[in-house]
Amino acid sequence: MGLADAFTLICVVAGAVLFLAGTLGLLRFPDTLSRLHALSKADNLGLGLIVLGLMPQQASLMGGAKLVCIWLLAQLSAATASQLIAGIAARRKPQA
Amino acid sequence: MTVPSSPRRPLWRPSLLGRGLLFFALWLVLIGAALKDWPVGLVAAAAATWASIPLWPPESRLSATGLARFVLRFLPQAVAAGLDVARRAFARRIAMKPGIVTYRASLRPGLAQGALCAVMSLQPGKLPVSCAARGDMRVHCLDSDASVTAELAADEAAFLRILPGGRAGG
Repeated sequence: MGLADAFTLICVVAGAVLFLAGTLGLLRFPDTLSRLHALSKADNLGLGLIVLGLMPQQASLMGGAKLVCIWLLAQLSAATASQLIAGIAARRKPQA
Repeated sequence: MTVPSSPRRPLWRPSLLGRGLLFFALWLVLIGAALKDWPVGLVAAAAATWASIPLWPPESRLSATGLARFVLRFLPQAVAAGLDVARRAFARRIAMKPGIVTYRASLRPGLAQGALCAVMSLQPGKLPVSCAARGDMRVHCLDSDASVTAELAADEAAFLRILPGGRAGG
């Protein structure tokens, strides 16, 4: 196993652990808004690590750029969606 | 009632052309560079440029150094945010004191404030809930005891440096 493969393995496993953390947070955190924290933050870092880990496996620069674009689009949509859901959740049940 | 007539502007300005080329480059990266697909890509890029005009008027400017400093500040914080949530999720006992903090933003409601809210939702322990009402932002925090207001002000100051002259409009 080369250095690039080891890097991929470490990053992708770390990314998967963060996805697990996001899911655990979704199940364990006490209220809707706190659960949104778990989804928007842990998953984004997890996806970032998986993208970083897959970089050395790309045959071309274009493939790497595509992965970065996917990560950026996922960040953008997660940030926007979590905010919209947070707004609805807060209106439905006013927090003290 | 008279509607103020806006001065007639040429449809294609250099900034719009540059933006269209960026959209086309994005399309090429996502779809692939096969020549037979180019017509669809050019139409998509033109449509994206047209849709972007009301969202981000062509005369708007971004400060490149401000943007670079912001990204350098944002990336470590996004990592810290992910690790913070993971630490709490894996902890034997969930230790948090969630609550909503009201923050008076200097940005007016609009696209810039919306973008600030989106960025803030990726920062450690903070999630903007509503950003619309007269510059008051309600931010949900995992630890409402922490010095959230100071952190929010620092985030906003870093964000404002992207906009030349600290433009506070939407």
